[in-house]
Amino acid sequence: MSEPTDADKGPGHVKYEDWREHLETGTLLGVQCQSCGAVSATPKRACSGCGSREMAAIELPERGTVYSETTINVPPEDFDGTYQVGVVGLGETRLLARLRGAVDIGETVMFTGTIVEGDGPGPVFESAE
Amino acid sequence: MTEFGQHDRSLEELFADAALPAIDDAGVGVSEIDAFYFGNAMGGMTENETHLAPALATHLGMQGIPCQRFEDACATSSNAFKHAVEAVEAGRHDIVLVGGVERCTPETGLDTGVMTRVFASASHGQYEQPTGLTFPGVFALLTKRHMHEYGTTEAQLAEIAVKNHSHGQYNPHAHFGRDATVEDVLESPIVADPFHLMDCCPFSDGASAVVVAAPDRAESFSSTPVDVTGIGHRTDAVPLADKADLTETRAARQASTRAYKQANITADAVDFAEVHDCFTGAEVLATEALGLLKDGKGGPAAAAGRTRVDGEIPVNPSGGLKAKGHPIGATGTAQIVELTTQLRGDAGKRQIGDASTALAHNLGGDAATTIVTVMEAHA
Ligand SMILES: [Zn+2]
Repeated sequence: MSEPTDADKGPGHVKYEDWREHLETGTLLGVQCQSCGAVSATPKRACSGCGSREMAAIELPERGTVYSETTINVPPEDFDGTYQVGVVGLGETRLLARLRGAVDIGETVMFTGTIVEGDGPGPVFESAE
Repeated sequence: MTEFGQHDRSLEELFADAALPAIDDAGVGVSEIDAFYFGNAMGGMTENETHLAPALATHLGMQGIPCQRFEDACATSSNAFKHAVEAVEAGRHDIVLVGGVERCTPETGLDTGVMTRVFASASHGQYEQPTGLTFPGVFALLTKRHMHEYGTTEAQLAEIAVKNHSHGQYNPHAHFGRDATVEDVLESPIVADPFHLMDCCPFSDGASAVVVAAPDRAESFSSTPVDVTGIGHRTDAVPLADKADLTETRAARQASTRAYKQANITADAVDFAEVHDCFTGAEVLATEALGLLKDGKGGPAAAAGRTRVDGEIPVNPSGGLKAKGHPIGATGTAQIVELTTQLRGDAGKRQIGDASTALAHNLGGDAATTIVTVMEAHA
């Protein structure tokens, strides 16, 4: 697992491309406000807590807890079959992900890779119990 | 408003069938209308039609006046209504036509997979859509968390579908309406758990429209006016993982607080509510967020019949999105039509006796946009 690069930490800000490249190479990239410390699991140009634009790259934990989940039986075009999606708590932030292993709310899950069915990759978590 | 259901005519023709009766109900001349606030959410994707406001105005003989089109997912025409009310209140316009139109059924030539993708366009393009999240899935995530925290059950959710189907049979504009049972709902196929097909509102085509006027002008209209006494409009974070809480629907709490304050009432004063029940779980979240029921009581209250048309706090006497139907851009002003009809005492078999204060709750996307409107019978 690679550390966020210097380019991520900026002067430039963290972009979707950075988040996507990290996801594809096996790291969850988030951003942390350098003013108030708030963390977001997806890039933001400014902090939702305090408005600061000093949002630095951080590596998010790969182990999390299922906050909510559902199994989708009627998928959109470009997606196949029945699959589970959920909101995963990662420390003080949350991330929407594809879930594997019929996990329940409260269950511990690990980041294991990505799925690519639509436009771009989505994170995948599996049961760690 | 038009009947909600399947319609094989164009957007301008469908909208005219809602707009002209609204104009005639008010008894105003088209030349007296000095602005058009219009809602359509998806016409660009579903019908390859954008820049609809001036086209529809032209079709109705109103060309030349200021026209604007709103898009805020399912809250599209409520936002048009809010802006129209504020413009009239500010004295910028005197008489305004507000409405929305949408076609979501296979009449557009698009199948369920394509429409599910079109609806999913209201979720985040980079951080939500790649997971295959759908709109039933969004509300399933909110509802499953509510079930986890409060013990809300699938049977309680089904009771909401049964209630709204029951109400819908007394609404001549409703897409559906019949006496259904909890078993009917629980035996229907699962779309995204906990939602069965009958927990979900249908894809509908339809149009709705209202006329908003300054009080001094409304007095001269041929029909009985009703008063708009409060409007709150707030938003929450997108993507939904950024929301501080998945069960509180914070924007609804903040918007209703604002609307109640403007109207100088509390939730206790609301005689009935039209809420955004795109899925049965959404009605649970809405009734709690609006303060009509205590947190965690939305499911049990519905199961006990407290939100039926003859209950202590009737919710969705029109049948709601669930039974009346949900032509996205037409839904917001259709709620305003139901409030108006009820407050005038014209709702027939679904009339809530002595209703003098009513609330409409319309949300967009994953509840990130919410507009709450309080209306009162004209004193
Ligand atoms: Zn901050």
